[in-house]
Amino acid sequence: MTGEEETPMGGLGWHIPDGELRRYADRALAPPLLWSTEAHLAACARCRHRLTVAVGPEPVDGGWDRLAAEMDAPAPRPIERLLTRAGVPEHTARLLAATPVLRLSWLAAVVITLALTAFLAHLAHPAVFLAAAPLLPVAGVALSFGPRVDPTYEISVVAPMHTFRLLLLRCAAVLSATTGLSAAASLALPEFGLAAVGWFLPALVLTTLSLALTPRFGPVLAAVAVGAGWVALVASTWGAGEAGPAVFVPAGQLALALTGGLAALTVARLRRAFETPRRIR
Amino acid sequence: MTIAATMPAVRASELTLRYGRTLALDGVAFTLRDGVTGLLGPNGAGKTTLLRIVATALAPDSGQLTVLGADPRTGPGRLAVRRRLGYLPQDPGFHPGFTAFEFVDYVAILKELTDRRARHQEVRRVLTAVGLEREAGKRIRALSGGMRQRVALAAALVGDPDLLILDEPTVGLDPEQRMRFREVIAELGERRTVLLSTHQTEEVMALCQRVIVLDRGTVRFEGQPAELADLAAGRVWTSGAREPGALASWRTGSGLYRHVGDPPPDADLATPTVEDGYLLFVDPGATQGGEGA
Repeated sequence: MTGEEETPMGGLGWHIPDGELRRYADRALAPPLLWSTEAHLAACARCRHRLTVAVGPEPVDGGWDRLAAEMDAPAPRPIERLLTRAGVPEHTARLLAATPVLRLSWLAAVVITLALTAFLAHLAHPAVFLAAAPLLPVAGVALSFGPRVDPTYEISVVAPMHTFRLLLLRCAAVLSATTGLSAAASLALPEFGLAAVGWFLPALVLTTLSLALTPRFGPVLAAVAVGAGWVALVASTWGAGEAGPAVFVPAGQLALALTGGLAALTVARLRRAFETPRRIR
Repeated sequence: MTIAATMPAVRASELTLRYGRTLALDGVAFTLRDGVTGLLGPNGAGKTTLLRIVATALAPDSGQLTVLGADPRTGPGRLAVRRRLGYLPQDPGFHPGFTAFEFVDYVAILKELTDRRARHQEVRRVLTAVGLEREAGKRIRALSGGMRQRVALAAALVGDPDLLILDEPTVGLDPEQRMRFREVIAELGERRTVLLSTHQTEEVMALCQRVIVLDRGTVRFEGQPAELADLAAGRVWTSGAREPGALASWRTGSGLYRHVGDPPPDADLATPTVEDGYLLFVDPGATQGGEGA
């Protein structure tokens, strides 16, 4: 840097050469020259004026725009903050924040249901809890995405982001939430040992099965059909297992796993059907 | 971006769609170019179904459709259309508790704007375009119907789309809000293709360079609004009494009755309007007026 004039602050005067000023405006200066230049600009009104004249108002306006955008931007909701802390990208967290069943009211309903079924499991039979817990993610997914339950469904369908991807994101969010809560509720059943997490596989299978039926019947009807079928299956195989429904013994779980695999293949095959639904309302 | 003047933004032929036994669209064919086109028709004519098909929300049972040069029947074609499309549904829904900014931000993410800073600048731009920059932080449930409709329009404008599809955008708005909305739509139509459905012929006259009349799933007319009005030339007359034989007959503010149909030989012919032309195409039973002003 060169210069011989005195600055308004006193001291030996110098000013930033034109070339360096231009490189600074173009963000092409590298440290430590960058730091030196910025320190000088902070103290020298004349160089600040030269900088303004040299680069015009656009960068400053852009800076104000960016600042205004940041100030206008809404503060992330608690659920968004939680998700971003867990490593979810900011934009995905915002998409998930709009998932209807991630609201406090739904989560409270899930907690109450799990508490009641865990209590009934103590009183009656562990199968009460094992049969009820898998129905929660099925209901959650049905109420998360679809023509009658998602107010922005129609806008989502015509957006470039694949509808199927949005659906899977919401499914993952619902499954994560209900699985965490159900796992916590399982801790209230220590006397059943590992059998207390027998709900996990049915939860995955029933959710996948309801997704496979969604393109044909819609999310709500598909969930109702799968839920009813599950209850009928549990009731009809009651006593066929070791003092409980056969679906919770290893052979029953294996059959469920096979069903889930087939359902997953069907979902993958039908994924395009989610992009242009046959019905909107 | 604008569509080249020689290339239609939308070209449809023989579009057919059934809901069960109901034939919603029956061989619909039309072409859309730059500017505002009005889709006019009575309730149940198939307007919303047609808009949803053009917006790629629904797939037709049969027929050919090209939107912005792409074929929406294929996955890549559909994606290409959706990246250049803005859509305002008939009954836009909002996530409860979202502010105007949050809602438009949410739609911007759906439109693949993932960079936070660029996205927020775009949200501010579209909210300013519809005159809602001061309401950005307000909850949508606290906004008036007109403002909510503008929030939905702002969401449709994210990404500066080449094709804008608006399903009855001014329904339920008071006259002042309607005027404000018309101004915005007219400005938008200066450099892109806008297709809007409406029941209101005055909206067509005020906004549209072209009009399509849809009735019972078929296109009954396609052309300029003035041409639609001209079709009623010689078939509109006034008299001092109701004409039972007319397709439509109503008492006007002047006290005279205005009639559309086949006039008697000595009829006092009147200058036709777009509404008169429209009445000739649609089911007279659905539009037969009483003593309107």
